[in-house]
Amino acid sequence: MTTPRPAPDPWTQLRARLSSGPGGYVFLSLYAALCTGLLLLNTRTSLLTDILFILFMLLALVVYRSQVALGFKLGLGGVLFGLVLPYFGVLNPYYIDVATQAGIYAVLALGLNVVVGFAGLLDLGYVAFYAVGAYLWSIFSTPQIANLFAGAAPIASGWFYAFILLGLAIGAGFGVLLGLPVLRLRGDYLAIVTLGFGEVIRVLAVNLDKPINLTNGAQGIKDIGRPPLPLADFVRGTLGWTLDDNQLYQLFFYLLVLVILLLTVTAVSRLKHSRVGRAWEAIREDETAAIAQGIPLVRMKLMAFAVGASFAGMMGVVFAAKQLFINPPTFDLLRSISILSMVILGGLGSIPGVILGAVLVTLLDLQILPRIATVLRDAQKAGLPIPAAFDPTQYQRLLFGLLLIVMMIFRPEGILPEQRRREALHANEDTGTPEA
Amino acid sequence: MAGEPNASVRNVGQQRTVEIIRMVLLPLVQLALFIVGSAVVLGLIIVVVAFLLSRSDPMLFQTALAILPQVMIDGVVRGFLFATIALGYTMVYGVLEFINFAHGEIFMVGGFVGAGVGYLMQQIGLLTILPPLLFVLITVLAGMTVSGLLAMTTERIAYRPLRGAPRLVPLISAIGMSLVLQDLVRLIATSTPLGFNARFETPDFGQAIKLAEIPLGERSMPVMISPKAIIFITVAVLMLIALNYLVNATRLGKAIRATAQDMSTASLMGVNVNQIIALTFLIGGALGGAAGVLFGLNIGTVNPYMGFIPGIKAFTAAVLGGIGNITGAMVGGIVLGFLEAFVSSYLSMFTGGKFSGASYADIAAFSILILILIFRPSGLLGEAVTQKV
Amino acid sequence: MALLEATEVTKSFGGLTAVNAVTLQIEAGRIVSVIGPNGAGKTTFFNLLTGIYKPDSGSIIFDGKTLVGKRSDEIAALGMRRTFQNIRLFNNMTVLENVLVGMHTHLHAPFWQIIAHTSGLRREEAQARERAREHLAYVGLAAKGDELAKNLPYGDQRRLEIARALAGQPKLILLDEPTAGMNPQETIAATELIRRLRDELGLTVVLIEHDMRLVMAISERISVLDYGTKIAEGDANVIRSNPRVIEAYLGKGAAGHAEAPADSA
Repeated sequence: MTTPRPAPDPWTQLRARLSSGPGGYVFLSLYAALCTGLLLLNTRTSLLTDILFILFMLLALVVYRSQVALGFKLGLGGVLFGLVLPYFGVLNPYYIDVATQAGIYAVLALGLNVVVGFAGLLDLGYVAFYAVGAYLWSIFSTPQIANLFAGAAPIASGWFYAFILLGLAIGAGFGVLLGLPVLRLRGDYLAIVTLGFGEVIRVLAVNLDKPINLTNGAQGIKDIGRPPLPLADFVRGTLGWTLDDNQLYQLFFYLLVLVILLLTVTAVSRLKHSRVGRAWEAIREDETAAIAQGIPLVRMKLMAFAVGASFAGMMGVVFAAKQLFINPPTFDLLRSISILSMVILGGLGSIPGVILGAVLVTLLDLQILPRIATVLRDAQKAGLPIPAAFDPTQYQRLLFGLLLIVMMIFRPEGILPEQRRREALHANEDTGTPEA
Repeated sequence: MAGEPNASVRNVGQQRTVEIIRMVLLPLVQLALFIVGSAVVLGLIIVVVAFLLSRSDPMLFQTALAILPQVMIDGVVRGFLFATIALGYTMVYGVLEFINFAHGEIFMVGGFVGAGVGYLMQQIGLLTILPPLLFVLITVLAGMTVSGLLAMTTERIAYRPLRGAPRLVPLISAIGMSLVLQDLVRLIATSTPLGFNARFETPDFGQAIKLAEIPLGERSMPVMISPKAIIFITVAVLMLIALNYLVNATRLGKAIRATAQDMSTASLMGVNVNQIIALTFLIGGALGGAAGVLFGLNIGTVNPYMGFIPGIKAFTAAVLGGIGNITGAMVGGIVLGFLEAFVSSYLSMFTGGKFSGASYADIAAFSILILILIFRPSGLLGEAVTQKV
Repeated sequence: MALLEATEVTKSFGGLTAVNAVTLQIEAGRIVSVIGPNGAGKTTFFNLLTGIYKPDSGSIIFDGKTLVGKRSDEIAALGMRRTFQNIRLFNNMTVLENVLVGMHTHLHAPFWQIIAHTSGLRREEAQARERAREHLAYVGLAAKGDELAKNLPYGDQRRLEIARALAGQPKLILLDEPTAGMNPQETIAATELIRRLRDELGLTVVLIEHDMRLVMAISERISVLDYGTKIAEGDANVIRSNPRVIEAYLGKGAAGHAEAPADSA
């Protein structure tokens, strides 16, 4: 990690040498090769592999921040995340699942960032849109559909791709539906109302097993359909890899999420640098002045809500198909807050920051907390006085809560803030790379 | 300057006493009116709906009427619960224009303190010999102390450094504080004999008191009120009186109101704003803590995540009554409590069991919040706020 | 017909009538000042014109269209732009972006084009940036396009607000105390700029101003508000010698020996 404060000279020099010019290429190649090699040599799930995996993920950040040719960056990124990580995933399915989750959360966080970071509207019920997408696909791809349309059979799994788009549209629709009445509200009231909306959707998910059984209540929906595997014969036959369906599905969803993530980043950054993004930012800065420039406040806020919600709706469909099982607790307030903490950790409004935040929080949640739990259990066996009931993986609230407080007090702009805002807050520091 | 002054001083003194009594009691009269009003309006609605539905199901009308008194009692208890929690939100909002998201957790902590005190007393055998009212007094005071100090501490740690930052910044910090408190209490509770679902040990309060018996065909339906519910209502009313006195009739109250009006002017007039804000948190937190103790006492168990939903609902109550307005918070709490009691008792009955009342009561509460915020953001008793340009 | 016709416009807050039956006609291509002591209702009048407040009664016709009942953004889109007394820039955006936001109503690329990044969109963006730089150059901020708005010196911030308003290609521009807080040199430059807006760009300019030298120098017509009511109207000479104006500024009894209101009230 780079430190935010002015660093001592040797360190600044070293950073400059390693991040640009020939030094940069050598350093990045070495780092990538070393990480890859070590990772492929240590495929068993262990603390060492955890650390290597985290270093591997952070490599993306280092590549992004360095000042080397764009082609080199893209090529290196493509090799690392398109080839190395999937291959490693075949050897150890646990890590590719973590990467897939991180990707899903990155898309969600980018969506929430449109609402909170760009337009400055605090949405605490964001996960509701995710739930809508997930239930959409779950109901239509399982026998639940018969309860909605009598006698209807589950939809063919090939429709999955159409449902990704449908999830996008329905997410946007729900965003408008919620937004229309509430967007006139002041910021803090809006936060509470969206929180209420999120809870309403969750309570509905629990209770809509009657009068007609739509969501199957608290039990959730299982055996959700997943799309037919593309290229399965090619991988098994031509490439001769002996992979079972589950492994292939893992690769499939990883790559699918990666593609969606790339599309999301593209869409979001294009929006940000358009008249729409500027209007959002103007609204966030000063509503009255924004209106005076002819910006229709409610319409632009609705658009932010709809755009953010559409990413969640889309990802909900993918998540349901990947997970094969969903139930209401998956979509509780804590999930909304964890996504919010990703956005805030990374840096409100900053696209690379938000992705970093999503990856860090997912790693913390899925990898580091369980690892601490294991370490604690070992220590406990060795006789250290640690309460038996203490299981760090169950203390996500503490983690997210501390994260929010600490960030708000000490670094409200996030760890990888929007470049421009960072310059504003640390005027004396040298300027880094231009923004994506 | 001689002869007359004594009489006039006495006169002024008398006037002042009358004034104080008026200021303290007026809100309570208002509150009582709202209780009666809510009960009458909702009762009438139930009667009409039940009558309309009774054509298909003759027993429904009778049953609906028979449980009505019980539902109203339930509504009053819930109402006072929301009212006491809502006061904490509204006081802090009045002074800082800030939603103290962690207030639900302050309430929860109060419940745990009560449970802890009860547990300790049980351990040393005090529980069986202690008079129940003394027990209530001790636990409520303990809960108020701990919750009040905790609220003050959270303000010092997580909100004061952010004063003057954009509005959403302290709000996010408060959300974080809410989560941290939930898990800290959980950590403490699960490391002690209390456990996650802590039993709230109490002395024996005796049987529920039967107020009336309503004949219903061959059987009859008793209308009961538990002694705990009576205690709850009594303590809540006492606290409301004390708060009204404090805010309306003391120097401290004047300083609080001045700070709420205009922080910088109050500070120029010699009010120590930081101290007043800390005190506001202390008072609001103490009320929340007392509510937590009374709630635990009534329900019998407490858990670390129990504060969240009542917290949001109490906030709804505060908004419903007009946020920043103390009488408004009480009124809002009562109205919301009644509505919830009615929805959770009658929705299922009137829809033939198709919708479970208890879960849709939550949805009803949130819907009210949304509707109020959209159509009358100033609440029932609030004044319209004009925006400065 | 006048470009802007406000007729009998009234607005009160609670018991206070901030603007009381004010009638004002502004011909296209004029420079008009609205003056009056503090609290006379000048800024409230601007807020009524721009739709931030809704008048209690009265009508406002701009360019043949009625403004009462229209939202602020609709009014801005019709070609009436304003600056603010207490400078309201988008502080954390760059100077250039501030001007680009001002162009919002003139950029029309639909949503899908933004996502698809079509050549049409790229052309529009490039042209917008080009025009934004021209506006910046016009007010003398050509070299500062990439700075954050909040880092500009005070006088430049006022210029930027004008550039942002110009970006909306308005017919009429409302300037709320454009020289407040400026030193004499800056005030001269600002006066020059205001005059150029009318002479070179053909804009109609309405300004609220306390600097009487400026007001008298450039206004073709001056309206005086006091306690929400228009007490006088006319050119500089008429206003200078109007006893009610002198009384409003200096108090009763001053009318006899004061020739003109002081430089800054």
